[in-house]
Amino acid sequence: MGEATLSPQESLHLIQSMITKTRKDMGDNTKHFLLWGWITFASCSGQFILKNIFEFEKHYLVWLLVIPGAVISIFIGMKDEKKRTATTYIGDSMKYLWMGMGISYFVLSMILTRMGWGTNVFPFFMLLYGLGTFVSGKFLQFKPLVYGGLIAWALAISSTFFNYDYQMLFGAVAILISYIIPAYMLRSKNKATQY
Amino acid sequence: MFKELDPILHSQLRLAVMSLLISVKEAEFTFLKEKTNATAGNLSVQINKLKEAGYIEVVKQFKENYPQTICKITPKGIDSFEAYVVALHSYMNPNG
Repeated sequence: MGEATLSPQESLHLIQSMITKTRKDMGDNTKHFLLWGWITFASCSGQFILKNIFEFEKHYLVWLLVIPGAVISIFIGMKDEKKRTATTYIGDSMKYLWMGMGISYFVLSMILTRMGWGTNVFPFFMLLYGLGTFVSGKFLQFKPLVYGGLIAWALAISSTFFNYDYQMLFGAVAILISYIIPAYMLRSKNKATQY
Repeated sequence: MFKELDPILHSQLRLAVMSLLISVKEAEFTFLKEKTNATAGNLSVQINKLKEAGYIEVVKQFKENYPQTICKITPKGIDSFEAYVVALHSYMNPNG
């Protein structure tokens, strides 16, 4: 690419092609969605199975899965950071939104446990999933995530009509609809636009 | 009525760099080099011209003991880029 001057058409074409190149490069942010989607889905459904089928007393221990999840997530994040040669406002917004969400989950678990409301945890978790996915969907202009967020909020309210055991299943369904399915759709959309 | 095209932007490589920087928060020299397929020497010269015009900020630092050059578009650069696109449209739709 040299110093050559351009016709207006060539200029517009060049601007468009450079913007498209950047967009393709910034598209793949689904790794963390899928990792956390599957970890939380496995924890919710695993807890339901351990409690109701195996009648295991310490069924909540399945949530210890989030510890290796956090380690893997930090490892992937550090690896990506080394390779990153450009940062975008959307990328940064997504990173801080989900970091804040992770901290909020932890703080909420502490508050509810301390207050003896541990068996009411799932509707609040779904409320947060809804917020995270709705805002992410709006940032990425990806409707399935926006709808996923709305469905998670609806499931949060609906789950209050059922007892704790079934609220776990509502949690698993909310994750499947608001995280996992939209993340696979986003991934295939990104792959399709890369070629 | 045709509007005058900004001579700083109306050059292939400088326009490519500005188009890349308008879509990101900041980018490394290596990112710009890879996307534009320009030589390091030519890219450096054009980046300096954009910097002298006040359209971009250039920060030189070290990342894990390696020198790193980071470029970021300035508010003046954003205004000029927008004005350039408006001017281009006046050529595309002279009656518009």
